[in-house]
Amino acid sequence: MGHCILTVDDSSTMRQMITFTLKGANFEVVEAGDGVEALEVAKGKKLSLIITDVNMPRMDGITLVQRLRALPEFKFTPILVLTTESDASMKQKGKEAGATGWIVKPFSPEKLLDVVNKVI
Amino acid sequence: MSPLAVPLVHGRASKYLDRTFNRQAMKILPGEFYATTEDEVIVTVLGSCVAACLLDPIAMVGGMNHFMLPMKHGDRDPDVFFAARYGAAAMEYLINNLLHLGAQRDRLVAKAFGGGRVMRGISTDVGGQNADFVREFLRNEDIPIWGEDMGGPYPRKVYFFPHTGQVLVKRMETTHNDTVYHRELTYIQEVTGKPMSGDVELFT
Repeated sequence: MGHCILTVDDSSTMRQMITFTLKGANFEVVEAGDGVEALEVAKGKKLSLIITDVNMPRMDGITLVQRLRALPEFKFTPILVLTTESDASMKQKGKEAGATGWIVKPFSPEKLLDVVNKVI
Repeated sequence: MSPLAVPLVHGRASKYLDRTFNRQAMKILPGEFYATTEDEVIVTVLGSCVAACLLDPIAMVGGMNHFMLPMKHGDRDPDVFFAARYGAAAMEYLINNLLHLGAQRDRLVAKAFGGGRVMRGISTDVGGQNADFVREFLRNEDIPIWGEDMGGPYPRKVYFFPHTGQVLVKRMETTHNDTVYHRELTYIQEVTGKPMSGDVELFT
């Protein structure tokens, strides 16, 4: 069965680019525009990976990681943070929240797929 | 050090007192952006590069970026698409900084400038591509465009007042702007020649 990936970003341009990259590698992709929507979309889905931005309205990416980790079905699902934030303290927050990895934008499609294949 | 192979940096310390406008001025260069809550003026000179001036008029937070897309190696869809990655990141860096300073995403409005056809010896209309990208990005993100002055054969000097959203644009004589031309040529070689990606770290 194919892998389904949830990508969370408030920028629709960015979502399009991530989805384009992942679909090109035959992944199924579902999208959400912020943390709140991501929790709704994720509910009841079998996800192989979640990729989230940090700065988003309503619920940011770090809080989303914490909320997902508190749910039994997403306790061990890989979660990558894909963001313009490269600050060490922000990365540390992501790590403590339970993120699997941190990718700084702009992303290279090859590098993104490389990391995705590593963590799935 | 910038985390990127290609610099997209918050405006370096090049503030000066602008006597004409009697306030602090921040000059930004290609690949830089600057966001502020202060009643200052943000200044840049554009050839084929574009600058988006974004503003939350209620929070009185505004900022400007200055960038261009890497040159495409062909017209194949993936190439066209991925050239925009750098532009999208340049926009997001600015937007995120505005949000950190108290702006709200759904209140942002934009003005866009530059994208002139000023690169001699390059057959592609680099400026036109940059202008198209900015318009499409803003439309895609539902950020209203309050005003624009893009395209045409001239470089521009842009003054943006982030507290009011007012912009003054001076269209410059093409022949007198070798500095702009050379600065942009170096920049486009940088963004085109180097891999465009940030750091990756897997937590163990």
